[in-house]
Amino acid sequence: MASRLSTVFLTAWTVLADAEELRGLAEAGGRPLANLVVALEALDQSGRAKAPPQSAAMLLDQKSREFVPHVLAVRSGTPVFFPNSDAIKHHVYSFSTAKRFEIKLYSGVPPEPVLFDKPGIVALGCNIHDWMLGYIYVSDADYLGVSDNEGRWSVVVPSGRYRLTFWHPYAAAQPAEQVVTVPTGELRVTLELKAQFQTGKPPASLQIQGYGDGF
Amino acid sequence: MFAFIVSTLSSAQATARRRQPIGTFGHRPIPACRYLSAVLLIGSALLIQAKPSLSDEGQFPEFTWHGLLDLRYQHSDAAPGQLEQGLGKLREGGARDRWQINEAASTLQVRLDWDWMATATLKYADLQSAPVDLTEAFLAYRPVGSAGWRLAGRLGLFFPPISLENVGTAWSSPYTLSSSTINAWVGEELRAFGGELRLDYQTEAGDRVGLFGAALANNDTAGLMLAWRGWTLHDFESTLNGRLRLPEGIGIPTLFPEQANASQTFVEVDRRPGFYAGIAAERPQRYTLRAMYYDNNADPSGLSAGQYSWHTRFWSVGSKAELPWETTLISQAMIGRTSMGDLNGDLRAVDVGFWSASWLISRPLGEGRFSVRYERFGSDERDYLPQDRNGEHGQAWTVNYNLTFAQRHQLNFEFSSIYSVRPARLERGESAYQEEMLWQVGYRLFF
Repeated sequence: MASRLSTVFLTAWTVLADAEELRGLAEAGGRPLANLVVALEALDQSGRAKAPPQSAAMLLDQKSREFVPHVLAVRSGTPVFFPNSDAIKHHVYSFSTAKRFEIKLYSGVPPEPVLFDKPGIVALGCNIHDWMLGYIYVSDADYLGVSDNEGRWSVVVPSGRYRLTFWHPYAAAQPAEQVVTVPTGELRVTLELKAQFQTGKPPASLQIQGYGDGF
Repeated sequence: MFAFIVSTLSSAQATARRRQPIGTFGHRPIPACRYLSAVLLIGSALLIQAKPSLSDEGQFPEFTWHGLLDLRYQHSDAAPGQLEQGLGKLREGGARDRWQINEAASTLQVRLDWDWMATATLKYADLQSAPVDLTEAFLAYRPVGSAGWRLAGRLGLFFPPISLENVGTAWSSPYTLSSSTINAWVGEELRAFGGELRLDYQTEAGDRVGLFGAALANNDTAGLMLAWRGWTLHDFESTLNGRLRLPEGIGIPTLFPEQANASQTFVEVDRRPGFYAGIAAERPQRYTLRAMYYDNNADPSGLSAGQYSWHTRFWSVGSKAELPWETTLISQAMIGRTSMGDLNGDLRAVDVGFWSASWLISRPLGEGRFSVRYERFGSDERDYLPQDRNGEHGQAWTVNYNLTFAQRHQLNFEFSSIYSVRPARLERGESAYQEEMLWQVGYRLFF
């Protein structure tokens, strides 16, 4: 019993001793920017991600009928679930070359996950709700983070050198990549957004939601 | 699906011969329209029945309701309008105030399966010829498609894709209460009874480019109001059994004694189907472009039960652009011709060229939305009846400010001003030149 406890303790200690939290803040136009993808590629062998990708989930928010999160970042080979737990049906599809698929989401029926095995950007739509738009960023990077509504992101990685690349769906120009040595202080990334873009949110007025002529 | 189009067209054709002359307002709907709507309903029902696998999946059909209630205060200072059988540019003219339930409409959408949906809109409008009637009823097919290609179709009764402003519940506009002259005419006299197909290519960035086309029937009187009454500014959409009063005092009964005293908007007179075809392109949140050609292919010498067929054809182009400072610019233009009557030499009894163009600028302002529209319109004629004067020209301004609360309550303040010259007014003892104004306060509830 005692030896098993110490093994657990030692394992935990090893992980903690080697792990560093890299944190950053994303901004656009002086305001916090959500949905900025940060991809870390380890430049040292010791920093490479060893664990296989875990499954992830893209939720379909039933109340506001939008993809949550708006941007999901996953490593290549990740199975992604699209759980639909409410009464509304969704018909999710993508025409993107990185992954072409369609999945019919009945309410209360758990669907099979979709495997995202090629790196690239997958734009998601819904054939029933035209305004719905979401992105899955599929990457061969070792670690991935996405900024939250406060513009904050963090990734726990082994210390060492990393190449950071950034992507935002509405960036006028994507931020330049950076090479950092972890541990390091908080990173600030600022970028400019396009003047106009779809948000993936439903129209603000019911007047616009109630008419569909297919055009 | 194709068989259904054919059966719809041919049934309308078969009944055209048996139609009774229509009398004054208040008469019952003519059998042709009733028959057609019955065919549409039965056809839809059969299509639903033909898909028994739906019930196995347990969650179809799925029903959705939308609708609107539109209460209006109007103050007009105008010549007699269409309802007063005048040549004014409003639906209701005169110098007066009125309160009214302008419109109440409800749209039922029934999702039959993942790719098929049935949509029907029932509408009440102030002084509508049938108090509650259908404005649209169609079956839409829209599968996801593959590798960016999408095929979609509609079958039934629907608006041709001309307006870029009427994108809201029951064909309402989020920008103004009164539709532009082009869209007011589309609402009044144009509807496709038939089938439409559309093929689109969508890029990874979401841009779309596509072709569309439709075969249609029951639109043979389209063009009559443009010729005899001219362009107008209003937001009344005709319905399945719609009838429009003709202008008085300009000699129509004398020159055309066979013409009934009201125009039936959606009838088949000559048993010849028409068509439209066009292209569409869209970059989401940046611009939309549409261009199409419409030809109802009517026989200009057709006459049945008091309704002449008017050979109406036109080009329609429209663009919607999102500009800096959240400003939206919607431009539409239309140019075409409508001809009616037997040939006399190389001229017909009525042969009117018509055109109109509008520019609408809209942007959020304060808590609401501010929109301004300017338009110019006109028509000229080249026919053998100089005493039937159908030429005109004019321009109009519309300014609207609306506030939307809690997604569903919308308060509108609108002013329209129309300047027009129409020589036919002289025969009514009016001045050919008229300046007309309309002030409106509208409350609209969307659900």
